Amino acid sequence: MIDFGSFKARDCGGSTRRSFLRTAATIPLAMSAGLPTPEAIAEAKSRAKAKSVILLWLWGGPSHIDLVDPKPDASMDYRGPFGTINTQTTGMRFTELLPRMAARSDKFSVIRSMVNSNNGHPGAGTVGLTGFEESPGPVQPNFGAIVSKHRGQTGSLPPFFYVGRGIPRDLPTRIEGYGGGTLGKAFDPFLVSASDRGEVSIPTLKMMPNMSPGRISDRRQLLTQLDEERYRLDAAKVEEWGHKYQSAYGLLTSAEARAAFDLTQESAKTRSSYGRSTFGQGCLLARRLAEAGVPYVQVNWSEYVETFTPGGDWGWDTHIYNFELLQDRHGPIFDRAYSALLDDMTERGLMEDTLLITMGEFGRTPRISNRAAREHWNQCYFSIWAGAGVTPGRVIGQSDPKGERPVSRPITPLMAGTTIAELAGVGAQQRAEMKVLDGGSVIDELF
Amino acid sequence: MNCFERRTSNTQHSTSNNRTSMFDVECSMFDGRIGVVLLAVFLFASADAHAAEPVRLTTDGSLKRDPRFVENGTKLAYCYDEGPDLVRMLQMKMEDRSITPVFEDAGNRHNLEPSWSLDGKWIAYTQCTGNLTARLVIHNRADNADAFITHAGRGGTRSPTFSPDSKTVVYAFAETGPQQLWSVDTAGKNKKQLTECSGITNWPTFTPDGKTIVFANSRENNYEIYSVSIDGSNERRLTENTIMDIRPRVSPDGKRIAFVSTRDGNYEVYVMNIDGSGVQRITKSEERDDYPAWHPNGKQLVTVSERDGEFDLYLFDVESTQLALGN
Repeated sequence: MIDFGSFKARDCGGSTRRSFLRTAATIPLAMSAGLPTPEAIAEAKSRAKAKSVILLWLWGGPSHIDLVDPKPDASMDYRGPFGTINTQTTGMRFTELLPRMAARSDKFSVIRSMVNSNNGHPGAGTVGLTGFEESPGPVQPNFGAIVSKHRGQTGSLPPFFYVGRGIPRDLPTRIEGYGGGTLGKAFDPFLVSASDRGEVSIPTLKMMPNMSPGRISDRRQLLTQLDEERYRLDAAKVEEWGHKYQSAYGLLTSAEARAAFDLTQESAKTRSSYGRSTFGQGCLLARRLAEAGVPYVQVNWSEYVETFTPGGDWGWDTHIYNFELLQDRHGPIFDRAYSALLDDMTERGLMEDTLLITMGEFGRTPRISNRAAREHWNQCYFSIWAGAGVTPGRVIGQSDPKGERPVSRPITPLMAGTTIAELAGVGAQQRAEMKVLDGGSVIDELF
Repeated sequence: MNCFERRTSNTQHSTSNNRTSMFDVECSMFDGRIGVVLLAVFLFASADAHAAEPVRLTTDGSLKRDPRFVENGTKLAYCYDEGPDLVRMLQMKMEDRSITPVFEDAGNRHNLEPSWSLDGKWIAYTQCTGNLTARLVIHNRADNADAFITHAGRGGTRSPTFSPDSKTVVYAFAETGPQQLWSVDTAGKNKKQLTECSGITNWPTFTPDGKTIVFANSRENNYEIYSVSIDGSNERRLTENTIMDIRPRVSPDGKRIAFVSTRDGNYEVYVMNIDGSGVQRITKSEERDDYPAWHPNGKQLVTVSERDGEFDLYLFDVESTQLALGN
């Protein structure tokens, strides 16, 4: 079932390929300047090792010690309550919260020496997703925006998707580095969400409450409504509006997009393998988008970092209940969804040319707090890499015996972003032309 | 036994009889003694396999937790994800499986881990009140009044449970270090810390005589289950392995403890004697089985079990399940 804004797409039978073409001809591209030509897109895609990139963004700061970098020999005030289990990778143990991933560790590599220069959520999130700190002007672009600009849009699907409930944020502040940044809002992600039952929705279109299945094929009605929306916005937002709604409308009338969003086309076995969670179904949607040729998909674990707060949607920011939440909710959901995605992509032959990365903005304090939980910790955390030529079954980097700091070469988000860009075909010259990822280097240990 | 269970049992019995008849005819062609032996083996295995099938109590598949039989087993309280940002407490009437909220006016706060006093007068639960803050609520059902138990600073109470005399609530909280057990009376007075342990302490549960508390603690590298007299004496470690043993629940007769362990690779439910001996496995699935709670009859356990990605409540018959799993 697909929920396009405020209605269910499955009930909509009036949309045709012809209507899309007519509309595409009458609605001008909002931001045609700077977009690559079809020839350039084809060339960029042919150079890319990773035809698609999927980033699983564990927003809030997952504990490295309680998941993939346990310290069973540390003292009790560090190691935490979880036992450890063997993995398929020599010398690597996980906690007992990730048994499925442990059984599949020969298909991915884990970096245990990540560091972030920032220790607060919005700031660290911007560093984690752009490689750079926030700045007074526009921030550096999200890695997805860089790939999006280089690879461009083919077909009706936007080149950069966010899968999740909203732009990542904490209670007071939205993350700055979520989108196009210095490249412009044309390269912002297109937001789509999946419920725990696999119902896909486009939050952007919820601004149009009168949209109905019958009206979607009525071009005049739709254009009138879109114009009304335009007048409601101030001039500064018109550009953003144009991009968003052009993309949204293209999706509404595209059979290709409808097919990519329709999780009911998957077998019941496949859908259930990902688990009954928004993250799990979001991972399945990401796989379908990658399969449809979308260059970059970021699956957000949650919209809010806050894990236990009214209105919060269970982010990884476990200042309280760290051990209970990881054991009751986060660990099992993540373990199941990640493993299902890995299996599914492997079975479909997608791992050859799809890069799958998992990380958050930082880890959590190795020393257990006086609230029996863990706080922010940017000086050592983890990321997980698979596909697109990454050598699997490796532990890259090492943390000290308490998990406080790397004892090997620190790996930064800038290095992660540079590696992503390189694999996605955005070479050094293109990066220099875009003025992005300046000074970044590839994580050679992954290959 | 409720109507649904009786129906299930009748169906299973009928199926077994049909198979027996067919088998009987075939055996008559061979040596009669062999036939009798094989028949007995078949009947035993067949009956056990059927009896081991749990009864699925819910079908909505939402993430669930904290089931508790209440009001002499006529109702089953539990928590579920009403949406991606809200955990609600519900209660199911076992007679007709109708489901209603525990509190109609619960608002938009997470409410979880409900516990009913044995006299039926009180409900204790954990309520999220703000960012990173949760309090213990003790609800007086007759007066519809609440006592709120808070601690200084941020943090949250966990796993409230009533003493068998319904006068005291014991719960877990980390105030200035390792998470400990605390107690408070039903009026919300006389709050005091009961334990002084290293590691994380959680999931207290009383024996029916009220003299012993069973709980889990992580001081030995991972969660293990312990019992201790309420005066703090006679602490005894009941489990010993390298992975977690959590959520102990003492049976109504006080002779057994249901608990969750990952000792066989994922979350499964087990039962052991009150002294830690005789561990027997109750669930066996590649998916998660968690949150065991005894029925007051002491013969059945309800669990939250994940099947094909869906989380639902399942009722297990303990004895027949143990037999079927070869315990």
